[in-house]
Amino acid sequence: MSLLSVENLEVSYGDFQAVRGASLELEAGQTIAIIGANGAGKSTLLNAIVGLNSQKRGTVRFDGQDITHLRTDRIARAGITMVPEGRRLFGTLTVEDNLMVGLAAERPGPWTIEAIYQLFPRLGELRSMVAGSLSGGQQQMVSIGRALMTNPRVLLCDEISLGLAPKVIGDIYRCFDAITASGVSVVLIEQNVVQACAASGYVYCMLEGRISLEGRPQDLTRAEITAAYFGTEVRT
Amino acid sequence: MIWLETIANGIFLGGLYALIGLGLGFAFGVMRVVNVAQGDFIVAAAFIGLFLYPWTPVHPILVIIPVAVVAFLIGMALQWLLVNRVLGHDQIPQILLTFGLAIVLRNGMVAGFGANSQSIDVGEMRFWGFDFLGLRLGVLPALVLVIAIVLFAALHLWLHRSRLGRLIRATADDYQIVQLQGVNYRKVYAVAMGLAMALSAVAGVLLAMRGSFTPYSGSDRLLIAFEVVVIGGLGSFWGMFLGGMVLGVTQLIALKLDPTSGLMYGHIVFFIILILSPNGLAGAFRNAVFRK
Repeated sequence: MSLLSVENLEVSYGDFQAVRGASLELEAGQTIAIIGANGAGKSTLLNAIVGLNSQKRGTVRFDGQDITHLRTDRIARAGITMVPEGRRLFGTLTVEDNLMVGLAAERPGPWTIEAIYQLFPRLGELRSMVAGSLSGGQQQMVSIGRALMTNPRVLLCDEISLGLAPKVIGDIYRCFDAITASGVSVVLIEQNVVQACAASGYVYCMLEGRISLEGRPQDLTRAEITAAYFGTEVRT
Repeated sequence: MIWLETIANGIFLGGLYALIGLGLGFAFGVMRVVNVAQGDFIVAAAFIGLFLYPWTPVHPILVIIPVAVVAFLIGMALQWLLVNRVLGHDQIPQILLTFGLAIVLRNGMVAGFGANSQSIDVGEMRFWGFDFLGLRLGVLPALVLVIAIVLFAALHLWLHRSRLGRLIRATADDYQIVQLQGVNYRKVYAVAMGLAMALSAVAGVLLAMRGSFTPYSGSDRLLIAFEVVVIGGLGSFWGMFLGGMVLGVTQLIALKLDPTSGLMYGHIVFFIILILSPNGLAGAFRNAVFRK
């Protein structure tokens, strides 16, 4: 049985249906990626999993339990958290205070403040800086560190490469080896197809609120992905 | 000399005004909730103080402690049972809710206690004075200022040093994201409202010791609170303290010049500051420092 399973999820904002029946599975220890263009419903799907969206139908199961309508803080305490799009740090708090907020989930585990500073040594140097004053890449490290501080079993990452320099993106993705090695299962949202395929063992492509393609990266052709991503016919 | 004394007394009064604003400003800073009932809760706290002070051991002024505890619990209940239900992007429901509450509270107090002017008697202390650098000053007003400073400093330290304080600051920054860290922001809000109420209640009781109050005093108190918060610059902690000082000193100097002016010159200064610097004193300070 998979650790996290989403069955036929539908999410609406008022009259607009952003997710139209999406299903996906995440096995323990696995990293999966969801790719798709802007507005395909990727972020909405993740937000719905952690309960930040209330207008939804379908089922989200975590470790066999139905968590579809659980409150976000309960879901976090159960072991699913998210690195939100745009980082969303507590801008007036210091780096260390940002990380310490994660202790509220009361989930002991390998990820302590020292472990975060070991993963991102730069954050140790910046620990007493106000988070709002950091560069984009540093902020992304704080955002990932903050999520890890809850010692999640499932970590959802919403476009962590957005707006960052390629070198910084590389640095951040390299850290995911250590994160998955600690037993965390990861769901990545990416617009960057190459990055997503390189970092994950299974890829879902979303188009207009539906899963338009799924499979292991090595089994998918470039043409298939392009068609599923943009919704165009494959020309041969 | 008489002017120095007036300014000193204005600063004492300003400390109290700052305390009146602190509850409102804190609630707004953390939750973006404008509690229109704050003024009437301040008066209600004075009535609770009036009821409890005969039983207070050691000295009547210590009645601020049980009143603060009661107000904290009332604030938590208010947030948990009522305000949390109307929170959202739209501010109007929450303003209407607290406005309605203010009316109910005010009329309830008139029905229960009558419209007469009341005061909390601190006994002899009211007449005690001390000499400082040749000035003759009152012990009670000075003590009130000390209490205000201690409460401001204590709240500041607690917010920055304690675990719960950190959660309150994080929730103020982004109440959605704290949930991803396992925080129930509704609980945090309840604690914040409890604290806001406790601070206001202390201000209400001290005000009732320095002067008098009626069930109708709430709107005056609310106006002072708003002015302190706005002069200080919304959500700016020590700006609010300064805002209280500005109002207190202005009011007492104006009363010396024009004994019938009441609070009018305080309101005028508030308007002038609002026109010159819409972001309050803290905003003007930020501009001066960072714009270069």
